[in-house]
Amino acid sequence: MSTGKRETWRRVFLFIGRLALAGMFLFAAYAKLKPQAALPWSLASVRTSLSMFAMQVDSYQLLSPQAVSLAAHALPFVELGLGLWLLSGLWLRYSTLATSVLLLGFFALMVRTYSLGLEINCGCFGPGEQLGKKSLLRDGSLLAFSLAVTICAFLSKRKRSESADSVRAAASEPQRAN
Amino acid sequence: MIRRNFHPFSRPILRRFRLLPVLTLICAAGISAQTRAQTHAVASSDAASAPVKSLGNRNAPITMEVFSDYQCPSCGNFYENTLKYMIQDMVASGQVYFIHRDFPLPMHPYSYMAARWANAAAKIGKFEAVDAALWDNQQAWSADGNIEKFVAAAVAPADFKRMKKLMEGCEVNPNASAKPAAFKNNGQEDHGCALDTYIEQDKQLAKQIPVTQTPTSVITAKSQRYPAMPGFVTWPILKQFLTSLLSQ
Repeated sequence: MSTGKRETWRRVFLFIGRLALAGMFLFAAYAKLKPQAALPWSLASVRTSLSMFAMQVDSYQLLSPQAVSLAAHALPFVELGLGLWLLSGLWLRYSTLATSVLLLGFFALMVRTYSLGLEINCGCFGPGEQLGKKSLLRDGSLLAFSLAVTICAFLSKRKRSESADSVRAAASEPQRAN
Repeated sequence: MIRRNFHPFSRPILRRFRLLPVLTLICAAGISAQTRAQTHAVASSDAASAPVKSLGNRNAPITMEVFSDYQCPSCGNFYENTLKYMIQDMVASGQVYFIHRDFPLPMHPYSYMAARWANAAAKIGKFEAVDAALWDNQQAWSADGNIEKFVAAAVAPADFKRMKKLMEGCEVNPNASAKPAAFKNNGQEDHGCALDTYIEQDKQLAKQIPVTQTPTSVITAKSQRYPAMPGFVTWPILKQFLTSLLSQ
Protein backbone atom coordinates (compact mmCIF):
# COMPACT_ATOMS: atom_id res chain seq x y z
CA MET A 1 0.00 0.00 0.00
CA SER A 2 1.37 3.42 -0.90
CA THR A 3 2.12 5.95 1.83
CA GLY A 4 -0.63 8.27 0.64
CA LYS A 5 -3.24 5.53 0.60
CA ARG A 6 -2.16 4.35 4.05
CA GLU A 7 -2.46 7.87 5.36
CA THR A 8 -6.01 8.14 3.93
CA TRP A 9 -7.02 4.87 5.60
CA ARG A 10 -5.49 6.07 8.84
CA ARG A 11 -7.52 9.26 8.67
CA VAL A 12 -10.72 7.34 7.94
CA PHE A 13 -10.04 5.00 10.87
CA LEU A 14 -9.27 7.96 13.11
CA PHE A 15 -12.49 9.69 12.08
CA ILE A 16 -14.66 6.59 12.63
CA GLY A 17 -12.76 5.69 15.79
CA ARG A 18 -13.19 9.03 17.47
CA LEU A 19 -16.87 9.15 16.52
CA ALA A 20 -17.40 5.65 17.93
CA LEU A 21 -15.58 6.49 21.16
CA ALA A 22 -17.47 9.79 21.45
CA GLY A 23 -20.78 7.99 20.94
CA MET A 24 -19.87 5.39 23.53
CA PHE A 25 -18.93 7.98 26.15
CA LEU A 26 -21.98 10.11 25.46
CA PHE A 27 -24.19 7.03 25.80
CA ALA A 28 -22.42 5.99 29.02
CA ALA A 29 -23.01 9.45 30.49
CA TYR A 30 -26.66 9.42 29.37
CA ALA A 31 -27.23 5.95 30.87
CA LYS A 32 -25.93 7.15 34.22
CA LEU A 33 -27.81 10.46 34.27
CA LYS A 34 -31.20 9.37 32.89
CA PRO A 35 -34.03 8.70 35.37
CA GLN A 36 -33.72 5.07 36.45
CA ALA A 37 -37.45 4.56 36.95
CA ALA A 38 -40.33 5.80 34.81
CA LEU A 39 -39.87 9.38 35.94
CA PRO A 40 -39.55 12.58 33.93
CA TRP A 41 -36.19 14.33 33.58
CA SER A 42 -35.63 16.73 36.46
CA LEU A 43 -32.86 17.84 38.77
CA ALA A 44 -34.23 15.51 41.46
CA SER A 45 -34.36 12.50 39.12
CA VAL A 46 -30.79 13.16 37.94
CA ARG A 47 -29.68 13.40 41.59
CA THR A 48 -31.37 10.06 42.27
CA SER A 49 -29.66 8.50 39.24
CA LEU A 50 -26.29 9.77 40.44
CA SER A 51 -26.99 8.39 43.92
CA MET A 52 -27.83 5.06 42.37
CA PHE A 53 -24.62 5.15 40.37
CA ALA A 54 -22.81 5.92 43.64
CA MET A 55 -24.15 2.63 45.01
CA GLN A 56 -22.66 0.82 42.03
CA VAL A 57 -19.30 2.55 42.49
CA ASP A 58 -19.46 1.71 46.20
CA SER A 59 -20.07 -1.97 45.51
CA TYR A 60 -16.55 -2.14 44.00
CA GLN A 61 -15.36 -1.73 47.62
CA LEU A 62 -12.35 0.35 46.71
CA LEU A 63 -13.02 3.91 47.88
CA SER A 64 -14.24 5.57 51.05
CA PRO A 65 -17.90 6.75 51.02
CA GLN A 66 -16.81 10.38 50.52
CA ALA A 67 -14.58 9.45 47.58
CA VAL A 68 -17.34 7.22 46.15
CA SER A 69 -19.81 10.07 46.27
CA LEU A 70 -17.37 12.46 44.63
CA ALA A 71 -16.39 9.98 41.91
CA ALA A 72 -19.99 8.99 41.17
CA HIS A 73 -21.13 12.60 40.88
CA ALA A 74 -18.16 13.60 38.71
CA LEU A 75 -17.70 10.60 36.42
CA PRO A 76 -20.82 10.95 34.24
CA PHE A 77 -19.91 14.58 33.57
CA VAL A 78 -16.29 13.64 32.81
CA GLU A 79 -17.63 11.08 30.32
CA LEU A 80 -19.96 13.67 28.85
CA GLY A 81 -17.10 16.16 28.48
CA LEU A 82 -14.80 13.55 26.98
CA GLY A 83 -17.49 12.50 24.52
CA LEU A 84 -17.99 16.08 23.37
CA TRP A 85 -14.22 16.64 23.17
CA LEU A 86 -13.79 13.56 20.96
CA LEU A 87 -16.71 14.67 18.85
CA SER A 88 -15.17 18.12 18.33
CA GLY A 89 -11.91 16.59 17.04
CA LEU A 90 -9.83 19.22 18.85
CA TRP A 91 -6.39 18.18 20.15
CA LEU A 92 -7.23 14.67 19.07
CA ARG A 93 -4.03 13.12 20.40
CA TYR A 94 -4.84 14.32 23.90
CA SER A 95 -8.53 13.45 23.81
CA THR A 96 -7.83 9.90 22.59
CA LEU A 97 -5.02 9.56 25.13
CA ALA A 98 -7.36 10.67 27.93
CA THR A 99 -9.94 8.17 26.68
CA SER A 100 -7.43 5.33 26.70
CA VAL A 101 -6.20 6.23 30.19
CA LEU A 102 -9.79 6.31 31.49
CA LEU A 103 -10.68 3.01 29.83
CA LEU A 104 -7.47 1.46 31.16
CA GLY A 105 -8.47 2.55 34.66
CA PHE A 106 -11.97 1.08 34.25
CA PHE A 107 -10.60 -2.17 32.87
CA ALA A 108 -8.03 -2.56 35.65
CA LEU A 109 -10.75 -1.96 38.24
CA MET A 110 -13.03 -4.51 36.61
CA VAL A 111 -10.26 -7.13 36.44
CA ARG A 112 -9.45 -6.55 40.12
CA THR A 113 -13.12 -6.88 41.13
CA TYR A 114 -13.63 -9.98 39.03
CA SER A 115 -10.51 -11.63 40.43
CA LEU A 116 -11.73 -10.86 43.97
CA GLY A 117 -14.92 -12.75 43.16
CA LEU A 118 -17.25 -9.83 43.92
CA GLU A 119 -20.58 -10.38 42.22
CA ILE A 120 -21.73 -6.87 41.45
CA ASN A 121 -23.12 -4.73 38.69
CA CYS A 122 -20.59 -3.30 36.29
CA GLY A 123 -22.22 0.15 36.30
CA CYS A 124 -20.54 0.87 32.95
CA PHE A 125 -23.70 1.77 31.05
CA GLY A 126 -26.11 2.31 33.89
CA PRO A 127 -27.53 -0.26 36.28
CA GLY A 128 -28.57 -3.83 35.53
CA GLU A 129 -25.46 -5.19 33.90
CA GLN A 130 -23.57 -7.78 35.86
CA LEU A 131 -19.79 -7.68 35.93
CA GLY A 132 -18.58 -10.86 34.30
CA LYS A 133 -16.63 -12.34 31.44
CA LYS A 134 -18.88 -10.66 28.89
CA SER A 135 -18.42 -7.15 30.28
CA LEU A 136 -14.68 -7.77 30.70
CA LEU A 137 -14.39 -8.86 27.08
CA ARG A 138 -16.36 -5.82 25.92
CA ASP A 139 -14.33 -3.36 27.97
CA GLY A 140 -11.08 -5.06 26.98
CA SER A 141 -12.02 -4.73 23.32
CA LEU A 142 -12.97 -1.10 23.82
CA LEU A 143 -9.62 -0.44 25.46
CA ALA A 144 -7.78 -2.11 22.58
CA PHE A 145 -9.81 -0.07 20.08
CA SER A 146 -9.16 3.14 21.99
CA LEU A 147 -5.44 2.41 22.12
CA ALA A 148 -5.45 1.79 18.36
CA VAL A 149 -7.21 5.14 17.79
CA THR A 150 -4.72 6.88 20.11
CA ILE A 151 -1.73 5.37 18.31
CA CYS A 152 -3.31 6.32 15.01
CA ALA A 153 -3.83 9.90 16.22
CA PHE A 154 -0.18 10.18 17.24
CA LEU A 155 1.08 8.56 14.03
CA SER A 156 -1.11 10.79 11.94
CA LYS A 157 0.20 13.88 13.69
CA ARG A 158 3.83 12.70 13.25
CA LYS A 159 3.23 12.01 9.59
CA ARG A 160 1.75 15.46 9.12
CA SER A 161 4.69 17.04 10.95
CA GLU A 162 7.15 15.04 8.83
CA SER A 163 5.47 16.05 5.60
CA ALA A 164 5.35 19.67 6.75
CA ASP A 165 9.06 19.47 7.56
CA SER A 166 9.86 17.98 4.16
CA VAL A 167 7.82 20.68 2.44
CA ARG A 168 9.68 23.32 4.42
CA ALA A 169 13.01 21.64 3.64
CA ALA A 170 12.13 21.44 -0.03
CA ALA A 171 11.20 25.09 -0.02
CA SER A 172 14.42 26.11 1.72
CA GLU A 173 16.74 23.95 -0.46
CA PRO A 174 16.44 26.03 -3.70
CA GLN A 175 17.10 29.13 -1.63
CA ARG A 176 20.28 27.53 -0.23
CA ALA A 177 21.30 26.44 -3.79
CA ASN A 178 20.89 30.00 -4.93
CA MET B 1 -70.73 28.44 95.71
CA ILE B 2 -71.08 28.07 91.98
CA ARG B 3 -67.37 28.03 91.66
CA ARG B 4 -66.99 25.37 94.34
CA ASN B 5 -69.43 23.11 92.53
CA PHE B 6 -67.94 23.76 89.12
CA HIS B 7 -66.95 20.65 87.24
CA PRO B 8 -66.24 20.41 83.51
CA PHE B 9 -68.83 17.69 83.10
CA SER B 10 -71.49 19.34 85.23
CA ARG B 11 -72.69 21.36 82.25
CA PRO B 12 -74.99 19.35 79.89
CA ILE B 13 -73.06 20.19 76.73
CA LEU B 14 -69.80 19.10 78.23
CA ARG B 15 -71.34 16.02 79.76
CA ARG B 16 -71.95 14.73 76.26
CA PHE B 17 -68.22 14.78 75.57
CA ARG B 18 -67.01 13.42 78.85
CA LEU B 19 -66.21 10.12 77.20
CA LEU B 20 -64.11 11.89 74.60
CA PRO B 21 -60.79 11.66 76.49
CA VAL B 22 -61.45 7.97 77.13
CA LEU B 23 -62.27 7.37 73.46
CA THR B 24 -59.19 9.29 72.40
CA LEU B 25 -57.07 7.14 74.66
CA ILE B 26 -58.62 3.94 73.29
CA CYS B 27 -58.09 5.11 69.68
CA ALA B 28 -54.51 6.12 70.40
CA ALA B 29 -53.84 2.76 71.97
CA GLY B 30 -55.39 1.05 68.97
CA ILE B 31 -53.33 3.03 66.47
CA SER B 32 -50.21 2.47 68.52
CA ALA B 33 -50.88 -1.27 68.67
CA GLN B 34 -51.50 -1.33 64.92
CA THR B 35 -48.29 0.55 64.24
CA ARG B 36 -46.39 -1.74 66.56
CA ALA B 37 -47.85 -4.69 64.73
CA GLN B 38 -46.53 -3.25 61.47
CA THR B 39 -43.15 -2.12 62.76
CA HIS B 40 -42.22 -5.33 64.44
CA ALA B 41 -43.05 -7.72 61.64
CA VAL B 42 -45.64 -9.56 63.60
CA ALA B 43 -47.42 -12.52 62.22
CA SER B 44 -49.27 -12.92 65.46
CA SER B 45 -50.64 -16.41 65.06
CA ASP B 46 -49.28 -19.75 64.07
CA ALA B 47 -51.92 -19.93 61.38
CA ALA B 48 -51.16 -20.94 57.82
CA SER B 49 -50.61 -17.34 56.70
CA ALA B 50 -47.22 -16.47 55.20
CA PRO B 51 -44.69 -15.26 57.74
CA VAL B 52 -43.92 -11.56 57.67
CA LYS B 53 -40.20 -11.20 57.37
CA SER B 54 -40.28 -7.45 57.36
CA LEU B 55 -39.59 -4.47 59.56
CA GLY B 56 -41.09 -1.02 59.61
CA ASN B 57 -44.21 0.66 58.46
CA ARG B 58 -45.93 -1.08 55.56
CA ASN B 59 -47.04 2.33 54.26
CA ALA B 60 -43.53 3.83 54.26
CA PRO B 61 -42.65 5.79 51.08
CA ILE B 62 -39.79 3.40 50.31
CA THR B 63 -39.82 -0.39 50.31
CA MET B 64 -36.52 -2.18 50.32
CA GLU B 65 -36.42 -5.91 49.65
CA VAL B 66 -33.13 -7.65 50.29
CA PHE B 67 -32.53 -11.13 48.91
CA SER B 68 -30.08 -12.75 51.27
CA ASP B 69 -28.43 -16.00 52.16
CA TYR B 70 -27.86 -16.29 55.91
CA GLN B 71 -24.52 -18.00 55.39
CA CYS B 72 -23.16 -15.66 52.75
CA PRO B 73 -20.33 -13.52 54.24
CA SER B 74 -21.15 -10.54 52.03
CA CYS B 75 -24.77 -10.64 53.25
CA GLY B 76 -23.55 -10.73 56.85
CA ASN B 77 -21.29 -7.78 56.16
CA PHE B 78 -24.18 -5.95 54.50
CA TYR B 79 -26.42 -6.55 57.53
CA GLU B 80 -23.81 -5.59 60.13
CA ASN B 81 -22.48 -2.48 58.41
CA THR B 82 -25.46 -1.17 56.48
CA LEU B 83 -28.84 -2.72 57.20
CA LYS B 84 -28.45 -2.51 60.97
CA TYR B 85 -27.99 1.26 60.69
CA MET B 86 -30.81 1.56 58.21
CA ILE B 87 -33.16 -0.33 60.54
CA GLN B 88 -32.21 1.93 63.46
CA ASP B 89 -32.55 5.08 61.37
CA MET B 90 -34.89 5.07 58.40
CA VAL B 91 -36.94 1.96 59.25
CA ALA B 92 -37.53 3.12 62.81
CA SER B 93 -38.58 6.56 61.59
CA GLY B 94 -41.12 5.07 59.17
CA GLN B 95 -39.32 6.13 55.99
CA VAL B 96 -38.36 2.66 54.83
CA TYR B 97 -40.23 -0.63 54.93
CA PHE B 98 -37.68 -3.41 54.97
CA ILE B 99 -38.46 -6.89 53.65
CA HIS B 100 -36.14 -9.85 54.01
CA ARG B 101 -36.30 -12.38 51.17
CA ASP B 102 -34.68 -15.77 51.41
CA PHE B 103 -32.31 -16.79 48.68
CA PRO B 104 -30.25 -19.63 50.16
CA LEU B 105 -27.46 -20.61 47.83
CA PRO B 106 -26.69 -24.33 47.34
CA MET B 107 -22.99 -23.77 48.04
CA HIS B 108 -23.72 -22.91 51.70
CA PRO B 109 -24.59 -26.08 53.67
CA TYR B 110 -26.50 -24.41 56.55
CA SER B 111 -28.13 -21.44 54.84
CA TYR B 112 -31.40 -23.28 54.10
CA MET B 113 -31.71 -24.40 57.72
CA ALA B 114 -31.05 -20.85 58.89
CA ALA B 115 -33.74 -19.58 56.54
CA ARG B 116 -36.17 -22.12 58.03
CA TRP B 117 -35.43 -20.83 61.54
CA ALA B 118 -35.98 -17.27 60.35
CA ASN B 119 -39.32 -18.25 58.82
CA ALA B 120 -40.36 -20.09 61.99
CA ALA B 121 -39.47 -16.97 63.97
CA ALA B 122 -41.44 -14.78 61.57
CA LYS B 123 -44.43 -17.09 62.03
CA ILE B 124 -44.54 -16.30 65.74
CA GLY B 125 -43.64 -12.62 65.32
CA LYS B 126 -40.01 -12.91 66.44
CA PHE B 127 -38.35 -12.34 63.11
CA GLU B 128 -36.38 -9.24 64.10
CA ALA B 129 -34.68 -10.90 67.08
CA VAL B 130 -33.86 -14.15 65.29
CA ASP B 131 -32.75 -12.39 62.11
CA ALA B 132 -30.31 -10.29 64.15
CA ALA B 133 -29.09 -13.35 66.06
CA LEU B 134 -28.45 -15.26 62.84
CA TRP B 135 -26.42 -12.44 61.33
CA ASP B 136 -24.57 -11.59 64.53
CA ASN B 137 -23.42 -15.18 65.00
CA GLN B 138 -23.01 -16.12 61.37
CA GLN B 139 -19.39 -17.17 61.68
CA ALA B 140 -20.07 -19.32 64.75
CA TRP B 141 -22.96 -21.39 63.39
CA SER B 142 -21.47 -21.52 59.90
CA ALA B 143 -18.60 -23.53 61.37
CA ASP B 144 -20.64 -26.35 62.89
CA GLY B 145 -24.24 -25.79 61.78
CA ASN B 146 -25.51 -25.36 65.33
CA ILE B 147 -28.06 -22.66 64.53
CA GLU B 148 -30.51 -23.74 67.22
CA LYS B 149 -28.23 -22.58 70.03
CA PHE B 150 -28.25 -18.98 68.85
CA VAL B 151 -31.93 -18.97 68.02
CA ALA B 152 -32.76 -20.28 71.50
CA ALA B 153 -30.67 -17.52 73.05
CA ALA B 154 -32.46 -14.84 71.04
CA VAL B 155 -36.03 -15.62 72.11
CA ALA B 156 -37.94 -16.52 75.26
CA PRO B 157 -38.14 -20.27 76.07
CA ALA B 158 -41.88 -20.33 75.34
CA ASP B 159 -41.34 -18.77 71.93
CA PHE B 160 -38.52 -21.18 71.20
CA LYS B 161 -40.84 -24.05 72.01
CA ARG B 162 -43.36 -22.72 69.48
CA MET B 163 -40.63 -22.38 66.90
CA LYS B 164 -39.44 -25.92 67.55
CA LYS B 165 -42.97 -27.14 66.90
CA LEU B 166 -43.00 -25.27 63.58
CA MET B 167 -39.65 -26.81 62.73
CA GLU B 168 -41.03 -30.34 63.06
CA GLY B 169 -40.36 -32.19 59.83
CA CYS B 170 -37.52 -29.82 58.99
CA GLU B 171 -34.73 -32.02 60.29
CA VAL B 172 -33.34 -32.88 56.87
CA ASN B 173 -30.95 -30.24 55.62
CA PRO B 174 -31.78 -29.77 51.92
CA ASN B 175 -28.48 -28.15 51.05
CA ALA B 176 -26.67 -31.19 52.39
CA SER B 177 -28.92 -33.81 50.80
CA ALA B 178 -30.75 -32.19 47.91
CA LYS B 179 -31.89 -34.86 45.49
CA PRO B 180 -33.61 -34.44 42.12
CA ALA B 181 -36.61 -36.35 43.55
CA ALA B 182 -37.23 -33.55 46.04
CA PHE B 183 -39.21 -31.47 43.59
CA LYS B 184 -42.93 -30.90 43.28
CA ASN B 185 -44.73 -30.62 39.98
CA ASN B 186 -44.42 -26.83 39.94
CA GLY B 187 -40.65 -27.01 40.15
CA GLN B 188 -40.47 -25.96 43.79
CA GLU B 189 -38.35 -27.98 46.14
CA ASP B 190 -40.15 -30.16 48.68
CA HIS B 191 -38.23 -31.53 51.61
CA GLY B 192 -41.22 -32.34 53.81
CA CYS B 193 -40.86 -29.13 55.81
CA ALA B 194 -43.86 -26.80 55.86
CA LEU B 195 -41.64 -23.73 56.14
CA ASP B 196 -39.91 -24.49 52.85
CA THR B 197 -42.94 -23.19 50.98
CA TYR B 198 -42.12 -19.65 52.10
CA ILE B 199 -38.46 -19.99 51.16
CA GLU B 200 -39.39 -21.36 47.76
CA GLN B 201 -41.87 -18.49 47.29
CA ASP B 202 -39.02 -16.03 47.83
CA LYS B 203 -36.84 -17.96 45.41
CA GLN B 204 -39.59 -17.85 42.79
CA LEU B 205 -39.84 -14.11 43.30
CA ALA B 206 -36.08 -13.86 42.86
CA LYS B 207 -36.36 -15.68 39.55
CA GLN B 208 -38.89 -13.15 38.28
CA ILE B 209 -36.77 -10.07 39.06
CA PRO B 210 -34.21 -11.75 38.31
CA VAL B 211 -31.85 -12.18 41.25
CA THR B 212 -28.79 -14.31 40.71
CA GLN B 213 -26.57 -13.42 43.64
CA THR B 214 -26.68 -12.30 47.23
CA PRO B 215 -27.16 -9.78 48.66
CA THR B 216 -29.38 -8.10 46.11
CA SER B 217 -31.46 -5.07 47.04
CA VAL B 218 -34.65 -4.18 45.22
CA ILE B 219 -35.96 -0.73 46.04
CA THR B 220 -39.43 0.57 45.29
CA ALA B 221 -40.37 4.18 45.90
CA LYS B 222 -43.68 5.78 45.01
CA SER B 223 -44.66 2.64 43.07
CA GLN B 224 -41.53 2.92 40.94
CA ARG B 225 -39.25 -0.08 41.11
CA TYR B 226 -35.57 0.70 40.63
CA PRO B 227 -33.16 -1.78 39.02
CA ALA B 228 -31.94 -4.53 41.34
CA MET B 229 -28.67 -3.69 43.06
CA PRO B 230 -26.43 -6.65 43.79
CA GLY B 231 -23.54 -6.45 46.22
CA PHE B 232 -22.49 -4.70 49.36
CA VAL B 233 -23.15 -0.97 49.75
CA THR B 234 -22.02 1.16 52.68
CA TRP B 235 -24.61 2.85 54.84
CA PRO B 236 -23.69 6.50 53.95
CA ILE B 237 -24.07 5.75 50.24
CA LEU B 238 -27.31 3.81 50.67
CA LYS B 239 -28.68 6.60 52.86
CA GLN B 240 -27.78 9.15 50.19
CA PHE B 241 -29.80 7.19 47.66
CA LEU B 242 -32.78 6.68 49.95
CA THR B 243 -32.78 10.36 50.91
CA SER B 244 -32.75 11.34 47.25
CA LEU B 245 -35.77 9.08 46.71
CA LEU B 246 -37.60 10.75 49.57
CA SER B 247 -36.93 14.18 48.06
CA GLN B 248 -38.38 13.16 44.66
